[in-house]
Amino acid sequence: MNSLAEKYSTTSPLSKLRKAQQLAEDEELSDAMWGSSAGFGSLAKGIPSFTVAPVPDPAAFLRLHTDDHADPNCRIKIQHGTTTLAFRYKGGVIVAVDSRATAGSYVASGTVKKVIEINPYLLGTMAGGAADCQYWETYLGMHCRLHELRNRERISVSAASKYLSNLVYSYKGMGLSMGTMICGWDKTGPCIFYVDSDGTRLKGDLFSVGSGSTFAYGVLDQGYHWDLTDEEAQELGRRSIYAAGHRDAFSGNTCNLYHVKQDGWHFIGNYDLSKLHYEGPNNVAGQGYGYDVRTEGRTSANPPPAATATA
Amino acid sequence: MSIMEYNGGSVVAMVGKDCVAIASDLRLGNQALGISSNFQKIFPVTDRIYVGLPGLATDLSTLRERFRFRVNMYTIKEEREIEPETFARLVSSTLYEHRFGPYFIEPVIAGLSKTPSGGVEPFIAATDLIGCLNFAKDFVVAGTASAKIFGVAEGLWEPNLEPEDLFETISQTLMNAVDRDAFSGWGCMVHVITKDRVITRTLKARMD
Amino acid sequence: MANANGGAYSYSLTVFSPSGKLVQIEHALAAVSQGTTSLGIKASNGIVIATEKKSSSILVDDSMLDKVAVVCPNIGIVYSGMGPDFRVLIAKARKSAQAYWKMYGEYPPTRVLTQEIAAVMQEATQSGGVRPYGVSLLVAGWDITRGPTLYQVDPSGSFWAWKASAIGKNMVNAKTFLEKRYNDDISLEDAIHTALLTLKEGFEGQMTEKTIEIGVVTVPTTAELEGRQIGDRPKPTFRKLSEEEVRDYLAL
Repeated sequence: MNSLAEKYSTTSPLSKLRKAQQLAEDEELSDAMWGSSAGFGSLAKGIPSFTVAPVPDPAAFLRLHTDDHADPNCRIKIQHGTTTLAFRYKGGVIVAVDSRATAGSYVASGTVKKVIEINPYLLGTMAGGAADCQYWETYLGMHCRLHELRNRERISVSAASKYLSNLVYSYKGMGLSMGTMICGWDKTGPCIFYVDSDGTRLKGDLFSVGSGSTFAYGVLDQGYHWDLTDEEAQELGRRSIYAAGHRDAFSGNTCNLYHVKQDGWHFIGNYDLSKLHYEGPNNVAGQGYGYDVRTEGRTSANPPPAATATA
Repeated sequence: MSIMEYNGGSVVAMVGKDCVAIASDLRLGNQALGISSNFQKIFPVTDRIYVGLPGLATDLSTLRERFRFRVNMYTIKEEREIEPETFARLVSSTLYEHRFGPYFIEPVIAGLSKTPSGGVEPFIAATDLIGCLNFAKDFVVAGTASAKIFGVAEGLWEPNLEPEDLFETISQTLMNAVDRDAFSGWGCMVHVITKDRVITRTLKARMD
Repeated sequence: MANANGGAYSYSLTVFSPSGKLVQIEHALAAVSQGTTSLGIKASNGIVIATEKKSSSILVDDSMLDKVAVVCPNIGIVYSGMGPDFRVLIAKARKSAQAYWKMYGEYPPTRVLTQEIAAVMQEATQSGGVRPYGVSLLVAGWDITRGPTLYQVDPSGSFWAWKASAIGKNMVNAKTFLEKRYNDDISLEDAIHTALLTLKEGFEGQMTEKTIEIGVVTVPTTAELEGRQIGDRPKPTFRKLSEEEVRDYLAL
């Protein structure tokens, strides 16, 4: 099994087809696809390979049938709407995400885990294709472990993110859809890299990715500074995801909050966004984030419930 | 993206025992962006008829005024209140007048008809955006969450529900359905029309 | 009143006289009172409208002559005055009833249809280049809101609801006769006989099924109304009596 790049080097469409078919047969016979390697193939052979449609231009075929940004009418919908954010401050990295998965206007799930725990020190966030993120970030985790075994030290966030970046870049044009933040704590301290399927890789203090990112940025930018306390930082992450979940149709349901410290990441909690709207993080009625909750009874536009009661 | 999904929103109506219920969400969106959580889509036509107008919000305002005009003219000319079935036909006619440049609204009508013996009979109907009438005996739906509402309603509705039970059924149906729709939600409003009064309630709903 | 079509010479023919009368309308009423007598009686369970039918020659096939017209399943009209004008009004009335059906899925109440016809007749008293209609009408119908109702419409466009009324040549006598004979709980059968008796007063020639036309409105029972489903066609409540039926009534 060769790399995908090589597979396309032969010019004749027929020979390509033959190769693709041969590839599929190989995989059926190969026991490397089963057992401990569980779908990731034999790592010794490098990047895992995939069966592709037996057509002259599999990339065009994929583009035609799967969810590409350009074509909303495609047959196969991949979950798209999302809000994810991560920011770095003196106390580490805060990672907060929503949990909604949509296919068109259908809310396919409200309990998606969009933070991928790559290893105890690395987190990846999920935006774009759920399967793409899950698969490649898990795959990244395996390589991070191999790095540890080879070099007797943990991989840096920079190296891990670059590995992922290079990997997805090799599939450019094949329809991979990922927008992820690789977050962790390494020798340099708290660290975030933004990596997407276009091949972009950026280092920064503060990122938000997904359809609800603009709303999250609004809250985030307003409340962010380096010297936040841990509580303040967690609240900022939660409040930002709430804002996005509230305003963005494709984000919502719950917020998953993680805090990366020197000793690795910690799961802070799962918060129902509707509860945050009405009751806030401390579950006290009337202390919610919601605008209507905060203004109830204080403005003529939102009079007390008794005043509007009609029966 | 479909123009029917530009602003989002859904309406459902159900038949009960000597009563009908009509409910809608309160969201007004601009595609994925939520704009208002207090956008009413259901309006009274007479004391016993309500109409829900999910679809394109600008057409909602226009159609609402058009129906108001036509019903007022009817009431004055005929010196009587319009009956639900007659109103449904009027809605259908009005929409079909724009067959080749339609209003992007799928109206839902709920009301109580007078029977010749002096009683009341529940009436519900829905039309598509060019006025094809659907007189159902159980429930009608429209809007971006229509498929989802159908699913839940099919499971929850039963015949001859009393007003309070009908309220519970329609509320649960709508709330659970719009939670599965990205373009509906942000609050719900329910009207239960009975012989003596109309019960109107706003529901505490998910706000994402 | 000048307009673009007729130019400065298209004046309304109906103009006020210095004493405040519209002479053309009075002339039209005169034309009506030259017409054969028609009458209508509202009974407790229906309405009858009847008229005398006269043909100028025995060679005319009078079975094809209609003076009582069905407008829609619940409304019928009889007239006195000019036949051709009546035909035009009936065509407009039928069209109006169908337009109403198309819009509301039901036929118009008697009052609404009467208003429509009256509006058409009024327009002819105020428009340029036309004359008023030379007919008076008796509109009989049944609807769910008002039950059986009987209206009279005059060439001026004015209309009234009546318990019983007569129009045409023998109008004055007929009305006096009806005033004597009418009571509120008269049955439809009795009303038909009263109608025939009234027509008999001053009838020229023989009263036969060929020279009399009768239309009746029957009130549907609650049971008949209750069973109605959405989309069902309404059961007709107005119908013309066949020649056989008229003959039977005359024989009694």
